[in-house]
Amino acid sequence: MSYRAPLSRTWWLKNPAFKAYMLREATVLPLAFFLACLTFGVAALIKGEAAFAGWLTTMQNPLVILINLLALAASLYHAATFFVLFPRVMPLRVAGKQIPSNLIVLGQWLGVAGVFLFSAWLFAGVLV
Amino acid sequence: MTKQIKVTVTRYKPEENAQPYEQSFDVPYTDSTSILDALNYIKEEEDSSLSYRWSCRMAICGSCGYMVNNEPKLGCNTFVRDYAQAGEIKIAPLAHFATERDLMIDQDEFVSKLEAVKPYLITDAAANHKAEADAIQKETQEEVKQETFKQTPEQLSLYQQFSACINCGLCYAACPQFGLNPEFLGPGVLALAQRYNLDNRDTGQAERFPIMNTNNGVWSCTFVGYCSDVCPQNVDPAAAVNQGKVFAAENTIKQLFNRK
Repeated sequence: MSYRAPLSRTWWLKNPAFKAYMLREATVLPLAFFLACLTFGVAALIKGEAAFAGWLTTMQNPLVILINLLALAASLYHAATFFVLFPRVMPLRVAGKQIPSNLIVLGQWLGVAGVFLFSAWLFAGVLV
Repeated sequence: MTKQIKVTVTRYKPEENAQPYEQSFDVPYTDSTSILDALNYIKEEEDSSLSYRWSCRMAICGSCGYMVNNEPKLGCNTFVRDYAQAGEIKIAPLAHFATERDLMIDQDEFVSKLEAVKPYLITDAAANHKAEADAIQKETQEEVKQETFKQTPEQLSLYQQFSACINCGLCYAACPQFGLNPEFLGPGVLALAQRYNLDNRDTGQAERFPIMNTNNGVWSCTFVGYCSDVCPQNVDPAAAVNQGKVFAAENTIKQLFNRK
């Protein structure tokens, strides 16, 4: 006869590693809000000028800006955790030698910077 | 110089109690006293009924895994001195496993999962030999010698890290997915399966694939990553399991296109 302790609902509060894991997973929540904003924006654009102007006003609400800033921070945090995992899951080799993890992580951040610069160029003058 | 510390051990005697309970002891220690030494002191001097597993005392047999202040640790390479500031040491059986008695977990479930993924070299040559069992018996020593496999350092480096596993089970105690679903094959077993899949001498991938590519296989892992933090051998089971996901996804796509 053996005993197995049931896992309580609060199991993730009992270890710092599990709290960090749940924080990583929770980054999806503000991101979902950002995606909802974006979806409503596209819908407003289809509906017409008045709807889009209304959407723009909503987006300027300080609370909406705050949650979207949180979504940006959360995405960057998630990216930071994900980029570190990448070389462990898909170790890349060139000519039989493993590429150092640091280089792969750096490459991913350069990719983020590239996307940011491209978007900045694409939308330059539109937003301001 | 000998100091004292309070050591609280989780006890479980199935014939006496339905639930585990805690029992505290005052244990003398020096700078070189390990958690295992503390347990040995309790058994020798305080309560001889205390049950726990241990063997080598040098972190290679994998027997003495316990929860020490809620973290999975090997008793032999964890030292009492590091808990002096905490003032108390709580030793419990490895989390998420079923406990048989005191600090002894039920190892059967782990061993049967390990057997299921065939953690050994499966080679076409061996399969051929199985069919010709009589021929093998008649083989001369020279013929056996011809069976050596060549492996380059580069081929070895693909799986070497994952082969250091000592089956201690700390990664299971660190895995909430195993805690939530005891049917999950778990980090250690999946890391060993991946170790053989990555071995160029092995041709058993197709046999392991149906076991690994299931809900209770690699897909139960959500990359909590704590298994790799607690591994005393730096196996990085989380990386192995997730490499297994890539492998499973590649194979599924290949099967889709190869369907006749």
